[in-house]
Amino acid sequence: MSTPTDLNDALRVLRERYQKDLPAKLAEIEKLLDALRDPTNASPETVSVFHRQVHGLTGSGATFGMSALSSAARELEATVKQALQQSTSTWPEEILDTIVAQWGALKQAATQPDIAVLKKFENSGDAIERVLAVKKERGHILLVEDDLEQADNLALQLGHYGYAVKVLHDTARLNAAVAEMAPIAIIMDVVFPEGNMAGPQAITGLSDEVKTSVPVIFLSSRADIFPRLSATRAGAVAYLTKPVDIGVLVDKLDSLTSDISPDSFRVLIVDDSPSLAGYYAMTLQSAGMETVVVNDPLKTLDALRDFTPELILMDMYMPGCSGLEMAKVIRQQEAYVSTPIVFLSAETDIEIQLEGLQFGADDFLTKPIQPAHLISSVTSRVQRYRVLRTFMVRDSLTGLLNHTKIKEELELEIMRATRQSNTFIFAMIDIDFFKKVNDNYGHPVGDRVIKSLSRLLQQRLRKTDIIGRYGGEEFAVVLKDTDEQNAFIALDNIRKAFEQIVQHAENGEFSVTVSCGLATFPRFSSAAELNNAADRALYAAKGGGRNCVVIAK
Amino acid sequence: MAELKRILYVEDEPDIQAVAKLALEAIGGFEVMVCSSGKEALENVIAFSPDLILLDVMMPGMDGPATLQAMRELPELSQTPAIFMTAKVQPQEVAGYKNLGALDVIPKPFDPMTLAENVRKIWDRERK
Repeated sequence: MSTPTDLNDALRVLRERYQKDLPAKLAEIEKLLDALRDPTNASPETVSVFHRQVHGLTGSGATFGMSALSSAARELEATVKQALQQSTSTWPEEILDTIVAQWGALKQAATQPDIAVLKKFENSGDAIERVLAVKKERGHILLVEDDLEQADNLALQLGHYGYAVKVLHDTARLNAAVAEMAPIAIIMDVVFPEGNMAGPQAITGLSDEVKTSVPVIFLSSRADIFPRLSATRAGAVAYLTKPVDIGVLVDKLDSLTSDISPDSFRVLIVDDSPSLAGYYAMTLQSAGMETVVVNDPLKTLDALRDFTPELILMDMYMPGCSGLEMAKVIRQQEAYVSTPIVFLSAETDIEIQLEGLQFGADDFLTKPIQPAHLISSVTSRVQRYRVLRTFMVRDSLTGLLNHTKIKEELELEIMRATRQSNTFIFAMIDIDFFKKVNDNYGHPVGDRVIKSLSRLLQQRLRKTDIIGRYGGEEFAVVLKDTDEQNAFIALDNIRKAFEQIVQHAENGEFSVTVSCGLATFPRFSSAAELNNAADRALYAAKGGGRNCVVIAK
Repeated sequence: MAELKRILYVEDEPDIQAVAKLALEAIGGFEVMVCSSGKEALENVIAFSPDLILLDVMMPGMDGPATLQAMRELPELSQTPAIFMTAKVQPQEVAGYKNLGALDVIPKPFDPMTLAENVRKIWDRERK
């Protein structure tokens, strides 16, 4: 059996070949089309070959990463079938025109392969500028709420976070509005004058296509089970109770409408059979997960440290060390107390399975296992693990890493950078005059200012950079693989951008600035030194008039 | 439960042949023989003795249904499970293919990553 990377490479090669051969294939089909347009030339043979070749495009496009081509070909095929049913020797003008137009669309589609958003990573040696994470241009949110004041208020607040909102006051025009504006999300009240479950009912009434592509968030003053159930049955992705916490709503919208795909699940596979382990690895990779295989159980701890998996898939019976023993060893370490461990075994003895569960296993899957079953078991466990973990390591207001976690990450980065002989920057960012914001506008507004800075940082920094909330109005960031000059530029740009953001409060608009101090590794070579240096630099920034970035010397 | 090991795959397009063979062998672990036409398939099927026959529907010359019909006339293959692959999957069309003696229809374009699993699911369903 081929290894996972071989398979992916092989598929890629085949995809590229298909796409390369496409223009020639299309040229041939176009010749047939030209022949068909000339009534004296068109023969049943030509038609049938034309039909078959277009059909071939429908059936192959998406397999080779050209979904648009498959769709366009399908449409053209439908028209051709229609024409064939006419059973006249020549095709009517309108049908020919349609076919020609659809052929044009097909050629266009043939230039649009399915590609994921490409993320660029630069080395500090080459970098001149840092890449901004690209977020797709936001479409509109459709808000359906019968209470006029609530609706306007919500629309206004969402606007502050950069969302354009269109408001409907009843459910009657829902279908039309969705068709007209193709919203990126729908926020729907549950109760309307027309009925207590009018909201969910209206959503259920949308077409299947809309329901699968547009996420729906329900809002309600009712928190009991019945509207929640109704909403779930209508396919809701979230259900928020009123009064709505705008921060929670915005976070939800962000996660639903963002282009940036989440990190792949990381699964460590411990099995002494290389072929079986390889098979599981490939199965999970086909579901988009990242895997590392360990065939010698005694190497598990190294793999844990280097790979930091989110789930460990382990065989029960291995030479040198049983799965159960390994589970106990893993759980001895604080860092892995919560990592899910799933046993894979031909073991059907329930007693032994129970023992496994007692010693820290989270699940017991019996071999042989169907790929789909393996994927779904792993997926649900990793998802849940991620949710639980965020509560442990993230600040609840901003979703950024908390103080403890940042310090841990700094230590890890020092080790990594030492090993790879890289430089990195540790920076502290502090909001200027934050106490005044709270005093003048109230704490909820202060919270919103903190959130706006955290969102700006997430937007402007790289996915590999580490961003955390150190406390209060202070943030810490670790810019990996960066030199001093580039870090300064990036942070200064962020400083300027933040100054430009209009912060809103009931009694007026205002803007806020930040001060920043940064320290470079390896000039400062320990966590304590980096911390102190960045702190001193921050202090200097404050002393020097605030709203500036200072490099620690 | 009888095991699914050998698949005879009949498809005329070389690109699809390559991708499906790769997907079925590398992910599914099956042994796959590819034939580019109904005629070639008929010449090789008995010697290969497949557990399952996978056929494209629209092919020049003998199309999928005609190929399957010809195979069913051979006593060794009258019971061999078959699955069609096609871009036409309206419910009445699927019913039509099943009437011709196929277990099911796999729609094209297919996802190479899930093809082996789809084939296995259909196989398992029938073997219950």
